[in-house]
Amino acid sequence: MRAAAPAGGAAERDGPLCAGGTMWSRVAAWGGWAGGGGRLAARGCLAARLLTGPPRGRQAAGAVRQERRPRSKIQKLFSTSTVLSTKEDGLTASTDSTTKTASKSQEDSAETPKQKLLNIIGNMKVEVSSKKKFQQLKTHETKKQAMNQLEGLDSKSSTFPKTTEDIQRGKPLNRELVEAASAVASSLPLNKEQTESDLLAQLRRHEETTDKQKKGGTINIRNVISDMTIKRESPAQRGVRISNLISLELEEDGKRIRPERLAPQSSDSRRSLKVGRRLNIFTKTSPDTEKALKTESSPTIWDVEFAKEIAAVTEQPPRNGFEEMIQWTKEGILWEFPIDNEAGMEDDAAFHEHIFLEKHLEDFPKQGPIRHFMELVICGLSKNPYLTVKQKIEHIEWFRKYFEEKEELLQEI
Amino acid sequence: MAARRLGGSSWQQMSLLSRRWCLQAGSAGKREQNRYSSSSTTLEKTVENSEVTREEIVLPRRKTWDKLAVLQALASTVNRDPTAAHYMFQDDPFLMPRNTANSRLLSLSKESGRSAAKYIIKEFPQYFDKTTSEPNIPCLMPENLTPQIEGVSEAALKERIHLRRVKASVDLFDQLLQAGSPVSLETTNSLLDLLCFYGDGESAQEKQNEQKGDLEEPEENTSEQRSPKRQFQKSLNSSGFRWRENNNAERIFKIMPERNAHSYCTMIRGMVKHGAPAKAYDMYTDLLNERHKADVHTFNALIRAVPYLKEKFAERWALVKDFLNHMVQQEVQPNVLTFNAVLKTLRRCGGVGRGVSLSVIQEMTALDIEPSLATYEHLLHIFYRSVELQPSTIIAEILEEVEKRSFTPQDPDDANFFPTAMQACCDLKDIKLAYRLNKSMEKGDNWKFLDMDRLNAYWSKFFSLLCMMEQIDVVLKWYKEMTPSLFYPSTRSMFDLLQALDAANHLEVIPSVWEDIKQLGFSRKQDLLEELLSLMSREEHPEETQLAFAKCAEDIKAAHEQSGRDQAPLEWTGSALGHVVVLFSRAGRTQDAWNMMEHFQQINRIPTLLLVWPKEALMLPSHVGAPVSIWGTGKGEESSF
Repeated sequence: MRAAAPAGGAAERDGPLCAGGTMWSRVAAWGGWAGGGGRLAARGCLAARLLTGPPRGRQAAGAVRQERRPRSKIQKLFSTSTVLSTKEDGLTASTDSTTKTASKSQEDSAETPKQKLLNIIGNMKVEVSSKKKFQQLKTHETKKQAMNQLEGLDSKSSTFPKTTEDIQRGKPLNRELVEAASAVASSLPLNKEQTESDLLAQLRRHEETTDKQKKGGTINIRNVISDMTIKRESPAQRGVRISNLISLELEEDGKRIRPERLAPQSSDSRRSLKVGRRLNIFTKTSPDTEKALKTESSPTIWDVEFAKEIAAVTEQPPRNGFEEMIQWTKEGILWEFPIDNEAGMEDDAAFHEHIFLEKHLEDFPKQGPIRHFMELVICGLSKNPYLTVKQKIEHIEWFRKYFEEKEELLQEI
Repeated sequence: MAARRLGGSSWQQMSLLSRRWCLQAGSAGKREQNRYSSSSTTLEKTVENSEVTREEIVLPRRKTWDKLAVLQALASTVNRDPTAAHYMFQDDPFLMPRNTANSRLLSLSKESGRSAAKYIIKEFPQYFDKTTSEPNIPCLMPENLTPQIEGVSEAALKERIHLRRVKASVDLFDQLLQAGSPVSLETTNSLLDLLCFYGDGESAQEKQNEQKGDLEEPEENTSEQRSPKRQFQKSLNSSGFRWRENNNAERIFKIMPERNAHSYCTMIRGMVKHGAPAKAYDMYTDLLNERHKADVHTFNALIRAVPYLKEKFAERWALVKDFLNHMVQQEVQPNVLTFNAVLKTLRRCGGVGRGVSLSVIQEMTALDIEPSLATYEHLLHIFYRSVELQPSTIIAEILEEVEKRSFTPQDPDDANFFPTAMQACCDLKDIKLAYRLNKSMEKGDNWKFLDMDRLNAYWSKFFSLLCMMEQIDVVLKWYKEMTPSLFYPSTRSMFDLLQALDAANHLEVIPSVWEDIKQLGFSRKQDLLEELLSLMSREEHPEETQLAFAKCAEDIKAAHEQSGRDQAPLEWTGSALGHVVVLFSRAGRTQDAWNMMEHFQQINRIPTLLLVWPKEALMLPSHVGAPVSIWGTGKGEESSF
């Protein structure tokens, strides 16, 4: 799944929302367990609201507000403690923390301090993750580089926390940082500009996400001032905030794809079949519906001719005598291999059905002249190649009927 | 072989039966007594019992062999003979084609002989009423093409439509209308299908015959032999059978009491096919107004028509996007052909196409639609046919994909992939890519995508790339491997080869190359001869080579002098004459050289400075055609006798 870039299209939003789906179901289940069955419905509604787009969500929000009841203390305590523990964990259990953030935003106004905390956690996470990335970069470079360049890197990673502060002030990018990045880039042997722009793009992206977080934070500060404001927070805003959190989650997975618009593509060399946005016009349908669509009437002349055209694409003249014989066989000109003396015989009877006809004599007397006669008959029939099995059986049948008709006469004799 | 197989089958049966006996004996010992009392009863029991054992052990009643298995196994043991022409031409060694033109002529005449025979059979089926073959071979018998149902009825109309009698169907339809009997919607639609497919051409009968011919011999009619014909047909379609105003299809469409989506769709497809894209677009808006839904083929046709509907690149892409959005609205699921059509349109959208095409590919992967070779071909075209070639990894990625998969034809454009890809390799001058491409072309059944024309294009490209980039011995190895059996080099290829020889300083091979040139029928190509002569006469070579060169020169001289039955003799150019003289004199054939000198005067040519050494060049008399004086000055310098 693609990490949600802030300006993503519909399908890009799809991804995080899907993730949100699973998360929310978890939250809903947890809520039901903590707050009792009665609350489950409301939470389900909330989940649905967050999953669907804003317009529908607003209605759902109204419903939820009506249903809101005093919270149980147990639940409050529980959720706060988990958040604290997450914090202590050094943010390793990242999924948990987001879940909590999500659940918290659901429990809106009452727990503003908690919200603040979570936002702080969110910001911290960004720092940690970017540091981690830098660490990776560093180790990667140490493989190629001498020790002295390591020092330069160290100095940069130390400047890094400062930049996050700067970013909060809305500056494009710290000058120091840019310089440091270019220093790193110049220390690399290959493709200096590329490296630098990569580094800077990474930093810019980081800055953006931080900004987003920050905005969420300011709302929360307002929450401290008044409970009313939080009620004014639109579901859309909240959705954005949550999806940001979720997207951060996804980025931790290392599956991230570099957002193209941040790293301007100077040439075609960056283009690739695998990277890039899709058109987002079609949605995938299940194979069942496809099949349902395909069941149509008999092929038209268009279909027939198109099939012929397609077949002609790979038609090749025979390359050797055997291939020519294959062709003739397909046309029915050549006797089939392996040679089969039953070729062209329509009835699908096997050899033994022609030869062993005794099984058709069951209705005849077991001994006596009739039996003897019939054995001679089937002996003759089994040697006759011109009759089909069916005809042979009919022949025997005729005798059976004949002897049955004459039974009285025969008895007399 | 026959006897063995026969014996085999009967023995198989026997052993099968005896096994049943054994089983029976084992399982039912009681029947032992019965068995010896009367042989017939035992047999009866056996057969009865075999039903029982069949439940336990499933023995196939008979082993069926694929009738092609043996032949396929045998065919796979035969490799291409690099010294022989294609199997198609091996009827008569005398007729073995030596060059492209001949091979084309031969395959075409073979095919036309076949169709002549077919024509006779079709025209005079009454003379072919004896079916002597047993079992009957339907493909050798005349097909019944005359309508069986007489009279004016819908059944008769259906039959005529089925037999693709365009004119007869239209007439019958009109008669039915006049008689006041309504024709069902389904039948009218299939009549529209027929009319739209053939563009209501007057010579539909003619075309129909052709079509029928194709039907009859789907195997025999090889793509190589057929390709020129098909191209001809295509050109007919685009020029001769243009969609006319108020043709029968439109007329019938208008008088139809009710129309469904299919009627609209088939009209749109017909209009696009026969070069009336604007009309097709109008028809599409009509369809939308009538609140019908188009099908995927119609959308594909419309998307293909976009370049003819809009001028500007951005507008084209916007229209394509509109169509795609309409598909979503009308719940039409796109297929690989849809995206191929989009890419084909993007080929004609310049920079816009380059930007968007990758998103199209992404969309395909998102929808799990496997690209066909045509998809890749369009991509290559979009990225590598532009004015400025930017190095990009796209071709490498495409090759990776192609290497991973095996392909079945899905789109008529699939066949273009390998030539286009080789062209791209050639433009990029990337020999490694070319080798990779060649490998994947030879993998599996991929080679089948190249018919004769494309094969020639592909190999000429590959060969010129080889000449440019490879060592001369590798080039010559490939040359030996490919030339008569895979493709016939063009003049261009021969130029490339000569240049490669020159670059590698391997000019002593030239005499054998000259032999090939003669074989290929290029001995009258002036520029090629010129190049050959100038290469040979540029430097002095060891005695042996010089003698061989002189022989070539003599051949060339003969080629100039002989006049074919229908061709005028080749004109000498001044430089060619000069080269020949030099070559003769270097090989010590003074008399021949002298004779050549006289040609200068005969045909009023000016000897170039190449002929003589620079020193003598200054001493050239100013007036034209004084070979004696040149000879006189050159004599002391050049000849050592």
